[in-house]
Amino acid sequence: MKNMPFKLTLLALALVAAACTTAPTTQLLDRARDEYRAVQESPMAASYAPLEAKQAGDALAPANAAAENRESAERIDHLAYIAQQKIALTREAVKQKSAEAEIAQAAKQRDQLLLDQRTAEADLSKRKAQIARNEATNATRNTQLAQQEAADAKRSTQLARNQTAEAKQDVQAAQAEAAGAQRMAQDAQARSALLEAQLSALSAKKTARGIVITLSDVLFGTDLARLNAEGMRSVQKLVALLQDNPQRTVLVEGFTDSTGSAAHNQALSERRAGAVRSALVDLGVGQERVAIHGYGETLPVAANDSAANRQLNRRVEIVLSDDKGTITPR
Amino acid sequence: MRTLSNMLPTVLCGLAVVLTVGCSSLKNPATTDIAVTNAAVESAVAAGGSQFAPVEMNAARTKLAQARQAFDASDYERAMGLSDQSRADAKLAQGKANSAKARAAADALEDGIQILRNEIKRDKP
Repeated sequence: MKNMPFKLTLLALALVAAACTTAPTTQLLDRARDEYRAVQESPMAASYAPLEAKQAGDALAPANAAAENRESAERIDHLAYIAQQKIALTREAVKQKSAEAEIAQAAKQRDQLLLDQRTAEADLSKRKAQIARNEATNATRNTQLAQQEAADAKRSTQLARNQTAEAKQDVQAAQAEAAGAQRMAQDAQARSALLEAQLSALSAKKTARGIVITLSDVLFGTDLARLNAEGMRSVQKLVALLQDNPQRTVLVEGFTDSTGSAAHNQALSERRAGAVRSALVDLGVGQERVAIHGYGETLPVAANDSAANRQLNRRVEIVLSDDKGTITPR
Repeated sequence: MRTLSNMLPTVLCGLAVVLTVGCSSLKNPATTDIAVTNAAVESAVAAGGSQFAPVEMNAARTKLAQARQAFDASDYERAMGLSDQSRADAKLAQGKANSAKARAAADALEDGIQILRNEIKRDKP
C-alpha cells in the first residue's frame, strides 16, 4: 500500500492521456448544443416552456462537463443524447402550449361568434317580424283596394248597363221616331193621294190661284140658290176633303150670266155662294174656314151669246187654299 | 507514448478497481432508476405515445428492456445509462403525444369556428 499514491498518480495520468486521444466534443454533442442555442434564442420557449428549457440546460451541462473532462465519446454521446431528448421535449412543450393558447383564443372567438350570431338572429327575427307586419298592413291595404276596385267595377258595370239601356231606349225612340216619320210620310203620302183622288172626283183644276173646283149651274135649280141632290153629293165630297185636310180653307165665289139685272145677278151670285157655305157648315166644316164672295155677271168664262155658254157662266167656283190656309186673292 | 504502453498493466489494474467499487455501489441507484423509467414509459403509453410518437416509444421500450438485461447481468452502470435514455425517450414521446393532441384539438376548434363563420355568413341575408 506504500505505492498507493504513486499508483493513483499513474491512474490520473493515464486518464489524462486517454482523454488526449479522444476529441474534446462529439457530433451528437455539437448538434445538441446547436439545438439548445436555438431553444434559448426562441422567445416562445422562454414564455411557454421555461421549466423544460431549464431541464434541457441541466441535461446539457453534464455532457459539456464530460467533454471538458475529456471523458469517453460514448459517455459524452450518452449525455448529449439525453440532453437532445430534453431539448426536443422543450420544443414539444412549446408546441403544446401554443396549441393550448390557440384553443383558448379560439374558444373566445367561438363564444364571440355565437354571441354575434345570436344577436344577428335576434335582429333577423326582429326584422322578419317587422316585414311580416308590413306585409300584413300591405295585405289589408290591398284587400281594401281590391274591394274598392270591385265596388268601382260594379258601379261601372251598372253605369254601362244603364248606358246600354239608355242607348237601347234611344235606339227604340229613334226607331219609333223613324217609324213615326215613316208613318207620317206614309200618312202624308196617303193624304195627298186621297186628296188627288178627291180632287179628281170633284174635277178640280189647278190654276195660278191654286186648286179650283167649279160647281156648275146644273147643280143648282134655275134661278135658285139651293143645291140639288147632285150638287149636295159634290159638296159632301168637298166636306170629306176638308175634313181630311183640316189646315186648308176655301173661298166660295159665285158667278151668273148676263140675263137679268146686274143687281139681281149680284145678289144671286152671293146667295149661291152662301148656299154652298151653308151646306158645308151644315155638314161639319167650321164657319171660319169658308169665305164667300159674289161676283154677279162679271168675270164670265164664255160669251153670253148662247144658252150653252150662258150655262157655263152660271157657276160657283171653290178655291182651295194651300196647306197653310192662304188663298191668293183675285 | 512509450510511457502509456509501459503503464498499461497498472492502468488496467486501476480500472478493475474502479469498476468493482462502482458495481457494488451502483446496484440500488440502478434499481430506483429503472423503476422510475418504467413509470415514465407507462405514463407515455397512457398518454398515447405509441400513436403519436411511435419511434420514441419504441426506443424507450427497447432501451428499458436492455437496461433490465444489463441489470440482470449486474452491469449496473450500463443499466442506468440505458434507463436514463429510455426515460428521456419516454418523456419525449409523452410530450409529442400531448402536443399532437393539443394541436389536433386546436385545429378541430379552428375548423369548427370556420364552419360557424360560414354558417353565420350564409345565414345573413
